[in-house]
Amino acid sequence: MSVLTDDDYAIAPSRRPFGALYSGNTQAVVERGFRVIKSQNWIILVSGFFEPVFYLLSMGIGLGSLVGAVEGPGGAQISYAAYIAPALLAVSAMNGAIYDSTWNVFFKMHFGKIYQGMLYTSLGPLDIAMGEIVMALFRGFLYALGFTGVMALMGLVTTPWALLLVPASVMVAFGFASFGMAVTSYMKTFQQMDMITFFMLPMFLFSATFYPLSVYPLPVQWIVQAFPLWHGVELMRQISIGVFSPATWVHLLYYAAMILVGVSFTTRRLRSLFLR
Amino acid sequence: MSAHTPEVSAAKARRWGSFYFAEHMLRSMRAYLVTIIVTSVGNPLLYLFSMGVGLASIVDRSSSGQGAAAHGAFDGVGYLAFAAPALLVSSAVMTSANEMMFPVMDGFKWRRIYYGPHVTPLVPGQLAAGHIMAVGVRLLIQSLVFFFIMLLFGAAPGPWSWLLVPLGVLTGMAFGAPLMAYSAHIEKENFQFSMIQRFIVMPLFLFSATFYPLATMPIGMQWIGWISPLWHGNQLGRIVSYGLAEPGWLVVVHVLYLAVLWGVGIWWARRNYTKRMGK
Repeated sequence: MSVLTDDDYAIAPSRRPFGALYSGNTQAVVERGFRVIKSQNWIILVSGFFEPVFYLLSMGIGLGSLVGAVEGPGGAQISYAAYIAPALLAVSAMNGAIYDSTWNVFFKMHFGKIYQGMLYTSLGPLDIAMGEIVMALFRGFLYALGFTGVMALMGLVTTPWALLLVPASVMVAFGFASFGMAVTSYMKTFQQMDMITFFMLPMFLFSATFYPLSVYPLPVQWIVQAFPLWHGVELMRQISIGVFSPATWVHLLYYAAMILVGVSFTTRRLRSLFLR
Repeated sequence: MSAHTPEVSAAKARRWGSFYFAEHMLRSMRAYLVTIIVTSVGNPLLYLFSMGVGLASIVDRSSSGQGAAAHGAFDGVGYLAFAAPALLVSSAVMTSANEMMFPVMDGFKWRRIYYGPHVTPLVPGQLAAGHIMAVGVRLLIQSLVFFFIMLLFGAAPGPWSWLLVPLGVLTGMAFGAPLMAYSAHIEKENFQFSMIQRFIVMPLFLFSATFYPLATMPIGMQWIGWISPLWHGNQLGRIVSYGLAEPGWLVVVHVLYLAVLWGVGIWWARRNYTKRMGK
């Protein structure tokens, strides 16, 4: 029987890239997320789907019958419901991702101390960040699927391109989710969390969701165009009727950049919060 | 120098207890005063600008012939004037809804703020009344701020527009008081509040003729408005704000409906408070 020496207890440094940040076990975080959904809050998750549907019914049918046709991408005349539906999908992707990655994370961080527990295991901050983001995306995917179905039922789907609404809304959700968690890590109190609403409501109201951007004076248009939701709205609107322009690439690139910056930002924040 | 004797204190509490408790509630709102100020100024600004100016731009372009205003869909007034009173009343209802869900649960269960006053001569009915009064004060101030912002936008044309302020309080209470009674009766919170937010407050906001007249909806959906306190409040708001022509009997129905909801809400809330505190 051999005697163990100190060498046997030494932990070899990981040779994988980002070994300190990432243990390749995002799935553990995701699995936990699904268990939680299964055991308690699936009803909250399902109910979130109805909000954009109510908006679509109310504004699309009610206001739509008074507004008549409006000018869609490429100058085509489309019904008001068809005009706002893709925008509402973008909004719903944003809301879902933001609530999942802010309030949810806020509670886990400060009350449940879930992340601290996870970081005591082999999980790294990137595993956690990715895991939480995957959960947010899963939710976004479900909503997008459901909402596109409702659009189809209402006769608002006129092109096969509309199928791309689902992956596009997952991408929009990814953009917001990747930032939401990092921003939340700076929040210490409930009152500070209200800032999130304070940021989201104007984005929702002003991002050409219910009426075209051309309403605003030029400087205001520039500001709106700088905000992420506007790119999401425009992208979805183009997809919904299958008319694309060079601007489509700009919208896609905007989100690609947002995702990259957001994920690295979140990972850094989690690392500096917990692995000091 | 001497303080009141216990008998005097008790008599005062029995007499003025609801006011004492209302004062306490209002003072505790100072914890989130900044949020209150920011939302009660920010929300009207955002909504009036977005709906009244932005959305109005596509709704009002009636000159082309197919716009809604040409057909008198918005009672012959601009969209801003049409939507503004309803937005004031809606925001009162939403605030009231928020104040009557979690804070009530907080009083009974989480921070148990009702239990301190309850060991004094204050009775549960007074706690309910005090809570309602405090929310009423908040609604009053918020509606006042909203009304001034409406004036800035030129969205309150009629001489009786100022009546929107008490109307905001009335409608907020007509929704909030019964909700308070319901919240007081919940023992174990299982997302009821989120469900109320999603399936009652939001739909009422969207389907109570806030953005367009109720008759625009298919008849199968108009009933949401008929039972919604918000619709009755919105109609009254339009009457006082720009003189919407509503038959006299319907005006009476609007007022009565709101008053009855408020009254029943208070009665039911006091009853539930008494039952709950007695446990």
